[in-house]
Amino acid sequence: MSKKILFFSSIVLILLFLTACGGNESSSNEDELNLYTSRHYDIDDELYQQFEDETGIKVNVIEGSADELIERMKREGEQTADLFYTSDAGRLHRAKEQDLLQSVESDKLNENIPKKLSDEDQEWFGLTKRARVIVYHKDRVDPSELSTYEDLATSKWQDRVLIRSSENIYNQSLLASFIELNGRDEANEWAEGIVDNMARDPQGGDRDQAKGVVAGEGDIAVMNTYYLGGMLNSADDEEVKVAEQLDVFFPNQDTTGTHVNVSGIAVTKHAKNKENAIELIEFLSSDDVQKQFASANYEYPVNPNVEPAETLKQWGDFKEQDINLSILGENNADAVKIFNEVNWK
Amino acid sequence: MSIIFVSLILLPNLSIIVQFFSESNDNWTHIKEHMLSTYITNSIILILFVGVFTALIGTSLAWLISAYDFPLRGFFKWGLILPLAIPPYIGAYTYHGMLNYTGVIQTTLRNQFEITVNQQYFNIMNMPGAIFIFVMFLFPYVFTITKAFLARQSTSLIENARILGSSSWRIYFKVVLPITRASIVAGVSLVILEVLNDYGVVKYYGIQTFTTAIFQTWFGLGDLNSAIKLSGTLMVIILGLLILERVLRGRKRFSFTTTKVKLLKPVPLKGRNKWLAFSYCMGIFSLAFILPLLQLIYWALLTYEKFLSNELFSVIGNTVFVAFFAATIITVMAIVISNFSRLHRGLTAKLFPKITILGYSIPGAVIAVGIVTLFISIDELIYSWGWTSSYILSTSVVMLIFAYIVRYLAVAYNSVESGFERIGTNFTEASRMLGNSVTQSFFKIDLKLIRGAIFGGFILAFIDILKELPLTLILRPFNFETLATNAFNYATNEMIHEAAIPSILIIIISAVAIYFFHYVLERE
Repeated sequence: MSKKILFFSSIVLILLFLTACGGNESSSNEDELNLYTSRHYDIDDELYQQFEDETGIKVNVIEGSADELIERMKREGEQTADLFYTSDAGRLHRAKEQDLLQSVESDKLNENIPKKLSDEDQEWFGLTKRARVIVYHKDRVDPSELSTYEDLATSKWQDRVLIRSSENIYNQSLLASFIELNGRDEANEWAEGIVDNMARDPQGGDRDQAKGVVAGEGDIAVMNTYYLGGMLNSADDEEVKVAEQLDVFFPNQDTTGTHVNVSGIAVTKHAKNKENAIELIEFLSSDDVQKQFASANYEYPVNPNVEPAETLKQWGDFKEQDINLSILGENNADAVKIFNEVNWK
Repeated sequence: MSIIFVSLILLPNLSIIVQFFSESNDNWTHIKEHMLSTYITNSIILILFVGVFTALIGTSLAWLISAYDFPLRGFFKWGLILPLAIPPYIGAYTYHGMLNYTGVIQTTLRNQFEITVNQQYFNIMNMPGAIFIFVMFLFPYVFTITKAFLARQSTSLIENARILGSSSWRIYFKVVLPITRASIVAGVSLVILEVLNDYGVVKYYGIQTFTTAIFQTWFGLGDLNSAIKLSGTLMVIILGLLILERVLRGRKRFSFTTTKVKLLKPVPLKGRNKWLAFSYCMGIFSLAFILPLLQLIYWALLTYEKFLSNELFSVIGNTVFVAFFAATIITVMAIVISNFSRLHRGLTAKLFPKITILGYSIPGAVIAVGIVTLFISIDELIYSWGWTSSYILSTSVVMLIFAYIVRYLAVAYNSVESGFERIGTNFTEASRMLGNSVTQSFFKIDLKLIRGAIFGGFILAFIDILKELPLTLILRPFNFETLATNAFNYATNEMIHEAAIPSILIIIISAVAIYFFHYVLERE
C-alpha cells in the first residue's frame, strides 16, 4: 500500500507545482491583457506581437468556438478575460445579451469605425468586414441573369444553387438579416425556395461550394468574399484555376443591399485591464493595422481611410444592407428554427 | 480509493445530471418536432455500420496476425495501430482533399488524360463516406484490444480446434469470435462512443446526427439547458446498451485456468494464402494510413515555411507533456478501479465501471461546461479562505488534465478490464490463500499478468489525448497551444494545407509511442 500512497502524494505535489506555474499567468498584471478569441488567423498573432512591441503590453490568448467561450465567461464570473473577439456580429450580440460586455467610450474608435458596424451601446466594435455574395461560373451564367438573393429562390434556379449547411453561422446570419428586412414569413419562403433549388445536399465549407460550381454540380454558389480571395491567392495551383473561372456578383444592389457581417471585439464586463483593452482595440482599428488585416486575409477593412486588398478592389464597390448588425444576433434563434422547419440540412 | 476516483469522475457530470431534470421550454418541442427523428436515425445507421465493420476488420486483422505468419507480419503488429494517430476529422478533410475537384486524383485525370469525371462517383461527403472514415481511423481500437487478448489467452482452445481439423474460417467464427467477445465489446464500445461524440467529421460532411442536434441547440438556439438534456438522453441510452450487453453475456467467461500460459504459435502461410493475408493487411494499412499521410506530406511541402519557428517546439512540448502526464494518471486509476470491481461483489462494484464511461459518452464540449463550473466553485472556495490571491486551478493546466481524466478513463479502463477478464480471479485467489494481501497479490501476480493490457490502455489514452479537441480548446490556460488545437484551427478555416504540419507531428509522436510500447512488449 505504501507504494501507492507514495505515488499519489507525488501526483498531488506535481499538481500543486503545475498550479503554481500556471496560476500566475492570468492574474491582473499591469502590462498584460487576456483575450478570448474564436478567430484563428496567423495575422492576428502577428498583430498582438506588434502591439506588445509597441506598448509593452503582452496579449495572452485562448482560442475556442464563440459559444463555448461565451459559456466559459459566464461561468467564470468576475475572474474572466479582458476581451472577447469573434467573427460574427450575432455572437457578439449574444455575449452582450448575457450581460458579459461593457460599454466603451473612445473618440479614436468613433473615428476609425463606422457606427453601423458597431454595437448601438458601444459594447462591441467591428474590426473586419466580409460580404456574403453570389459567385457564378463565367461561362455558364450571364451576370444579367442575376439580381437579388430573393431571386435565387425562384424556379429559374432549380437545381443550380450551391450553399453550405444551415448549421453554419454565416447562413444563419444571412437568414437573420432577411427576417429583419422582409419579415419572418418571406424569410421562411425564401429558405424553402432555396432548399428546392439546391443542386445537391449541403456539404463542405464555402470553398467546396466554389469547387462544386466549377465541377459542374451547380451554376452559382453563395459564399463569403474572403474565401474566394484566399482561393485566388492559394498555394495550390488547382485552387487558383478554379477561382479564376468564377466571378463575384453583389446581389440586391437596387434593393436592400448585399449582406455584410463583421469580426468584432468587445471589452468584457469584468475586465481587469480596461485601459489596456481599449488601447488594443484602438490599435487594431488604426489605419496601419487595418491595412495589414486587409491584405493578409482578404477581408474588407472597417476603417474608411483604408483601401481593401487588390483582389477585392477588382470586384468593385457595392451597396451594403442597411441594418444594425445587432439584429443578426437578435434573429439568430428564429433563423435556426426556420432552417429546421424547411429541412435545410 | 476507487470510491474517491469514481466520485471525482462523477462530480463534473453532476451539474449536467441536475440540468437533465430541469423543466423543458419551447425549444424542446421544436427540437422534438424537427430534429430528433432524422438525427437519431442517422446516428443509429452510423453506429451500426461503423460498429460492424470495425469489429470485422479489427478482429480479423488481430486473428491473422496472432495465428499466422506472412510477409511483414512483424511490422503490421504495431503498424496497424498507426491509423489511430490520425484524428478522424483530419482524415475526413484529407480524403475529401484527395477526391474533390481540385484533389490529386481528379486533377491528374483532367490534366494528364483529359477525363472529367462525374462528381457523384468521387463524392465522399455523405453517409457511406463518413462510415468509411470512421471505420478506417477507429478500427485499431478493436484491433489492439483483441490482439492483446489473443496473444496471451489460452492457446489450447485454438490448438485443440486445429488438431480436431477445423478449417481456419471455422476456427475464426466458432472459436475466436466467441472467446474474444469481451474484447470486441470493449473495442467496439470505444468506437461507438467516439463516433457519437464526433462533431468534426459529421459537421464537415453535412450529416445530421444526434451530436449535431446537441450543438444546434446550444450554438444555434442558444439554449444550453436543452442541449444538456439531449446529452443526458444520449448518456442514458449508452449506459443502457452497455448494461444490456453485460446481462446478455451473463456468466459466460473465458478466463484461462491453467498455469501454462502458452503463446499462440503463428502458423506460416504458404503460396496464395500468404499473399492474400499480406494484401489484406497492406490494403487496409494503405487506406487508413499511407494514403492520407502522403497527402498531408504533400500539403505540408506547400506551406512548411510558415512553421519553422521556436513556437512549434513549445507546442510539441506542451502536447507531449499533458498527454503523458494525464495518460499515466488515467492508467493508474483504471487499474485501481477495475481491480476493485473485479474482486468485489455487489452493486457498487458493478456500477463503478459504468460510471467511468460517463465522461466518454457525453460530447466533450458539454463536459467542459461541467468542469468549468466545478473548478470555478473550488477556486472560489479556496479564494474565500484567503489561501490564494486569485483563481489558480481554473487558470492552470490542472483543469485541463482533470478534464482528460474524466473523459478518457474509459479508454484505459476498457483495455485493463479486458486484461483482468482474461486472467480471471483464480491466480489472485491462490495468492490470497498463500497468505498475501490483496495489494501484495496485485503487485506480485496480477500486474505482471496484465502488463500488456495496461500498456495498451496507456497508449490508447495517450494518443487520444494527443489529438483531443473540444476540451483542450475550451479548458486550456492562456497561450497554451497543442498540436491538435493548431491543426483544428487551420482546418476549420478551410486552410487545410496549413493544418498538415501539426497533423503530421501528431502522427509522428503517436507512431513513436506506439513503436516504443510495441518494442517493450516484444522484449518480454
